[in-house]
Amino acid sequence: MTDVTLHDARVRHGLKVLGTWTKRKEDDRLLRGEGQFTDDVGRAHTAEMALARCPYPHARIVRVDASAALELPGVLQVITGAEVAARAGPIRILRPVPGAPVIPHCALAERVATYEGQPVVSVAAVSRHVAEDALEEIEIEYEPLPHVTDVSSALAPGAPVIHPDVLESNLLVSNPQGSGDVDAIMGGADVVVEGRFLINRVTGLPMETRAVLAEWRAGAREMTVHISTQVPHLVRKQLAESLRIDEGGIRVVASDVGGGFGLKLGIYPEDLLACLHAMSLRRPVKFVEDRNEHFRATTHARESVHEYRIAARSDGRIIAMSDVYLNDLGGLNSPFGSSQLSTVVFNGPYKVDDGFVERRVVVTNKTPIGAYRGYGQPEVNFAYERLIDKLARRLRLDPVELRAMNMVKPDELPWVNPVGAVYDSGDYERCLRMAAEALNWADHRRAGPGPRPSDGRYPGIGFSSYVERTGYASGKFLAARGSDFGAHESVTIRANRSGSLDVYTGVSSIGQGSETIFAQGCAEFFGCDYDAVRVHAGDTAAAPLNTGSFASRTAIAAMGALLDACARLRAKTLRIAAHMLGISDPEQLDIIGRAVQHREDLTLMVPLSSVFQRAILGQGLPEGELPGLDETSYFDPPHAAYSFGTAAAVVAVDAESGEFSVERFLMVHDCGTPLNPKLIEGQVRGGLAQGLGQALGEELVYDPETGQLVNGTMMDYFAPTACDLPSIELMHTVVPSPVTPLGIRGAGEVGAIPAAAAVANAICDALTGFGVELDRLPITPELVWRALRGKAPARA
Amino acid sequence: MNPADLDNLPLGLPEPNVVVTVQVNGRTVTEQVPARLHAADFLRHRLGLTGTHVGCEQGVCGMCTVLVDGEAVKSCLMLAAQLDGRRVETVESLATGEGLSPLQECFKQDHALQCGFCTPGFLMTATALAAGERKPSRAEIRDELAGVLCRCTGYEFIVGAVEAHLAAGGRSAADD
Repeated sequence: MTDVTLHDARVRHGLKVLGTWTKRKEDDRLLRGEGQFTDDVGRAHTAEMALARCPYPHARIVRVDASAALELPGVLQVITGAEVAARAGPIRILRPVPGAPVIPHCALAERVATYEGQPVVSVAAVSRHVAEDALEEIEIEYEPLPHVTDVSSALAPGAPVIHPDVLESNLLVSNPQGSGDVDAIMGGADVVVEGRFLINRVTGLPMETRAVLAEWRAGAREMTVHISTQVPHLVRKQLAESLRIDEGGIRVVASDVGGGFGLKLGIYPEDLLACLHAMSLRRPVKFVEDRNEHFRATTHARESVHEYRIAARSDGRIIAMSDVYLNDLGGLNSPFGSSQLSTVVFNGPYKVDDGFVERRVVVTNKTPIGAYRGYGQPEVNFAYERLIDKLARRLRLDPVELRAMNMVKPDELPWVNPVGAVYDSGDYERCLRMAAEALNWADHRRAGPGPRPSDGRYPGIGFSSYVERTGYASGKFLAARGSDFGAHESVTIRANRSGSLDVYTGVSSIGQGSETIFAQGCAEFFGCDYDAVRVHAGDTAAAPLNTGSFASRTAIAAMGALLDACARLRAKTLRIAAHMLGISDPEQLDIIGRAVQHREDLTLMVPLSSVFQRAILGQGLPEGELPGLDETSYFDPPHAAYSFGTAAAVVAVDAESGEFSVERFLMVHDCGTPLNPKLIEGQVRGGLAQGLGQALGEELVYDPETGQLVNGTMMDYFAPTACDLPSIELMHTVVPSPVTPLGIRGAGEVGAIPAAAAVANAICDALTGFGVELDRLPITPELVWRALRGKAPARA
Repeated sequence: MNPADLDNLPLGLPEPNVVVTVQVNGRTVTEQVPARLHAADFLRHRLGLTGTHVGCEQGVCGMCTVLVDGEAVKSCLMLAAQLDGRRVETVESLATGEGLSPLQECFKQDHALQCGFCTPGFLMTATALAAGERKPSRAEIRDELAGVLCRCTGYEFIVGAVEAHLAAGGRSAADD
């Protein structure tokens, strides 16, 4: 049994600084309004950029006439698709879907635009006001083409093919995976439940929109780019490729980033265009996306259709699971494109030997899809967790017992699922039981369905259990999938004369608290005070090459790099200190606070500042010791770690109107050894808010007739406010992962995964007597009312 | 365009300008601004007070919330010209010395911020709330804060921080 408390975990690893709620390094500057978000960076003589975007979902660009715009005082430059094609290469995909052909993606549409909002003409002017005035003067003649706005019609016979140069139909690729003869098992099973689940198109909606400031120094052939991104080094790589500038000539800086959630992974057309303008104009060029642009030009997420089947024996034992899902790609393949993890964890926490998953990626005339917190895992969780409840009802079994019966047991781990994912360790059932107990499930179940006397509403409880893949199983795993980045993280740690340490990382601060976690790790592993560590984040000129902040992987990989760098830095520090103190064995010394001390003779000590000064000065060092005191380390995690848990919702439903309220929401989760419990709670709560937003109201709606986004403004898109969310109770277990440094698992995305299924299952539980099975998101009172319509409560 | 012509370009369109005199964070400033410049851009780009953020320019997200004559308002919905003769406080007014203000300390203590982009909006909304006579309940605090969006935190710790600040009888810099 691998269960430990947080205290045990800290003792096991001898942790002093990690595992505690340490105040964040990032906070003081942000609280004082001194954050340096991209638009806060000012450069003299900066020009500003605005874009003409295609107003149609699909159109041929017949003619562009910018002559009148160029006459406007203050307009500096107009760039069209032809110029971009001549000056820059296409945007490369970072995370291709295996087997997918490459759809060329240039910064401006030259002949055909494939989604509403796609950039067609770019203007640089002395101000954004003037640039927008200029847009009014640009004449673009479009020839609207037939469009498709959903995956089903995109695949229908006779549908217009959106990328005929590359594809014969709108199916980009299909990836079948699995093991066993699933169809045969389904055919002979006691019971098969199935459903077609529609997952809504949503957006991560970071509060800071995208922004970029490009400065070009022609004589140095050097581009400095301030940008709101989760991946500064990958942005540098992509800019170098597209601009055909050597990587060494590009510096990318992401000081403070106002939220990412997966939307700020890799470059967007506007980033390239700002650079092109800057190179022509020889002055800095800034682009700050406005919110209405953001809704059309920054990647959307999640939209998919899952056709899921579960086969079981009459006692409830699951014998096969199958999911064929259609992912909407949108009009182009963004750098992270279609989400891929619906396949990896398609079976959730349930043990099944025979399974089949097929991912089918479909091109439509909508804003490109990209990564968003969970990257396919929330989508598939909704499908399998809805079906588990349906199976329980079909077999008249307790859904908690049905889940428990089928979960992978602690002593069965590690376990390989039918598509090859290696679940590392955990106790899935315990999280489920804790949730059931906390919500008095047994009493509720005993009481049976029906309205409560107090207000006539139907109470319901719903569960959603999940596993979440966090991190990647090494660079080798990614190489097999054609990914253009690694699984590693890196740090450089450098000593200062004052006795403090500088940590340099390519991980930008997007709210995840990485400066704090890195400083905690450095203080922990080197042995110094937390206050003596300063983290310099997100500047490619200073940070070693790395991967970035996404996929719940940063802390896992970075802890490995910090452990190694600190060990080497510490060893050298102790060697120099031993030399200074006239001690032969450096192992007799320890670092305590701001000094190096003898372990037994406490009078033998030397301040860290003295040791660091000597190393930096390079005088009076031990024989053979090189000057300087800095270390760079890389760490490639060998395996992914799987977080797990159960969320549960308590609802009360008005069976007349379909109106409902979520009266309690609970989540029990495990992310291994917690590095900073408060930061983890913040991550989980934030993910849950986005998950509940998706469950209860968020949806980007397209009009199938016109192909237009109908609700693409902040006023029309429902993102939860402080009074829209139920109160959320969190509980934790701590099962350290055996495959990661310190036993940690990722925690950044987990909240987004189980919320929707828990709420839907609770409503269906409340309405058991009516036979309501919800199969789409978001869950609105109207959806519930429609599901209830014509249905009377069945006799018990 | 020939790069040699760049120096001859005008700095901006000949457009209507207005003169604004406004007290910002205790200092009186007079600026000539384009009539169409909104107040958030004025604070950010004319006065360099970049702690006030811009998130939607539609008065929905609340990133740009500042105090105008003590009242929390969304500065993207005001023109700079409308600030003439008014008193404005921005997030930069809160911490006057080396340390944080009591309200900011509550936010730090309770982990009420992650990316920090929305934080100035919440701080200024809470500052106005703290200056009021009423002692709101937790539910009322949620209502009051609903004018500012946050996508990172799920709000719980923000509500907790504001509640803790109000419970401590926290006064704001705006009162002084």
